[in-house]
Amino acid sequence: MTAGIALAPLVELSDVSVTYDIPMQQSVVEALQGVDLAIARGSFTSLIGPSGCGKSTLLRVVADLIEPTTGRVLIEGQTPASARRARQIGFVFQEPALLEWRSVLDNVALPLELQGLGRAKRQAEAGRLIDLVGLSGFEAVWPSQLSGGMKQRASIARALSTSPHVMLMDEPFGALDQITRDRMNLELVRVFEQTGITVLFVTHSIREAVFLSDNVIVMSPRPGRIVRNIEVDLPRPRSLLVRDSRTFGELVRIGARELEQGYDA
Amino acid sequence: MTLSARPVGRHEAGIAQQFGTLARTAGPPIVAAIVMVSLWEGICHLFDIAPYIVPAPTRIWAAFVSKPGSLLFNGGVTFVEAVSGFVIGSVLGALLGTAFAYSRLLARGLLPYIIAANTIPVVAIAPIIILWFGHGMQSKIAVTAFLSFFPLALNMMKGLQSYDRVVMDVFHVSAASEWQRFFKMRLPNALPYVFVGLKLNVTFSVIGAIVAEFVQADKGLGFVIMTTYRTLNMPRLWAAMLLSAIIGILFFALIAWIEKRTIPWHSSMREDH
Repeated sequence: MTAGIALAPLVELSDVSVTYDIPMQQSVVEALQGVDLAIARGSFTSLIGPSGCGKSTLLRVVADLIEPTTGRVLIEGQTPASARRARQIGFVFQEPALLEWRSVLDNVALPLELQGLGRAKRQAEAGRLIDLVGLSGFEAVWPSQLSGGMKQRASIARALSTSPHVMLMDEPFGALDQITRDRMNLELVRVFEQTGITVLFVTHSIREAVFLSDNVIVMSPRPGRIVRNIEVDLPRPRSLLVRDSRTFGELVRIGARELEQGYDA
Repeated sequence: MTLSARPVGRHEAGIAQQFGTLARTAGPPIVAAIVMVSLWEGICHLFDIAPYIVPAPTRIWAAFVSKPGSLLFNGGVTFVEAVSGFVIGSVLGALLGTAFAYSRLLARGLLPYIIAANTIPVVAIAPIIILWFGHGMQSKIAVTAFLSFFPLALNMMKGLQSYDRVVMDVFHVSAASEWQRFFKMRLPNALPYVFVGLKLNVTFSVIGAIVAEFVQADKGLGFVIMTTYRTLNMPRLWAAMLLSAIIGILFFALIAWIEKRTIPWHSSMREDH
C-alpha cells in the first residue's frame, strides 16, 4: 500500500489543452495541446521550450490560476483548486512580487499569516526559511533595499513557507545576471536536496535545466506539446563541478538539438 | 549582494546628528523668512507705503497683539470647520472610491457626474449648501466636506486598482480570502494615493471653510476678513490672512507627519533624493 502511494505520481496531467480567446482578432490561440505528464514525488522536473510554447500556461494550470480547456490535472488525487485551498502549492514567479510595505520577515511569513497562523509561530517558521535561503540578517529590511537575487531568495522562502507538496517556479532567475544566476541555481539545488520537495521549473536555459533537474521536458512551439522527456542521470548532491562532466555536456547537447528541431517544425 | 543589513525605520543617529538634520532642513526657510520680512519692513518705511495698501510686518503684528484672543478664537473656529469637513469628506470620498474600485458598473455610471460635480466652483455652490444646512458651523463643515470628497474618491479608486497582477496571483495561490486581499494587499497598496488626496484636501478644506464664512458667518477667519475689509482695517485683515496660512501649513505638516509614519516604505518617503 505504501509502496503504491510512493509510486503514484504527485502531479498528473492527462490530455490537457488550453486555448485562449483573443476577442480583438476574433481568433483563438492554442497554448497547450494534449499534454500528458506525470511528475514523481520528490523529483525536480524542468520544462524547456521556445518563448510562447505554453510552459508558463502549464504551470498556471497546475496552480489553479487557469482552468484547462480540456483534460484533467490531479495533484495527489485532488483537483488543483482543492490542492491550492489546502495550501499544498508553492509558486515562485519571474518577478519577486514582494509587498513593498512589509519587511523581508513579514513577506516570507505572508502565506502563513493568510492561513491564520499566530504571529510567534509564523515568524519562527519564516526565520527558519530565511536561514535556509541564505538571507539571515536581512529579516527587518524592506524589499526595496534588496538586490534582485536577494528578492528572489525571499520569494522562494515565501513559497516554501506553508510546506507545500509541490513547488512551481516560472523562470525565477530569468531577470538575473549570469553569475548571480549560477549562485541561485546552486542554492536551489541545495534547498531541493535538503527539503525533498517536488519541483516543476520553467526555464529558457538548457544548461540550467540539466544542472537542476532529474527530468527535462522539452516542449514544441505553439501549440505547446511535449516532444521529449530527457532523464538526467547525474549524481546528487550536485555542485557546479557537475557542469564539467561529460554526461552534463552530452545531455545539454541532446536538449539543444531537440529544441532546434522544435524551431524548424 | 554587497548590501549590509541596516536597521529600518529607526535612525541610530545621536542627538547631535538629529540637530544637524533639523538645522539642514529648517535652516534655509527660516533664514529666507527673516530676509523677506526685513526687506518687506524696510521697503514699507523707505517708500512710505500706505498701511491700507501694504502694512508693514510690525503693524500686522501690532494688530494681532492688540486683540490676540479674538483672532485666535476665530482662527480656531475656522480650523475646527476645516478639520471636521476634511475628515467627513475624506471618509465619504474613500468609501465611494472603494465602491468604484470594486464595481466597474457603478464607476462607469457615476464617475462622469462625480467629475462634473467636482468642476463646480465652490463659491457657486457654497450659498446653496449654507441654505440647506443652516447658519451654524455645520454648514461650513458641509462646504468643506463637499470639497474634500472628490480628491479622495478619485485617488482611493485609482489606488485600489493599481495593484500588481503578480502579487494578486501570489494571494490567489496562497488561498487568500477577499477580505485578506483588501486589507493586506489592495488597501496598503492604495495608501500612497490616499495621501496624495489627503494633502490636496488640506488646502481645499481651509479654502472651503473661509469661502463658506464669506457667504454667511458671525465668526471664523472668513468673517474677520470680510468685516475688516468693510472697515479697511487692513493690518488686521493681513493678520487674519497670515493666520489662515499658518493653519493650513500646520494642518499640512500634521498630514505629512502621519504619512511619514504610515508609509515609510514608499519611494516618495526616501530622504536621499
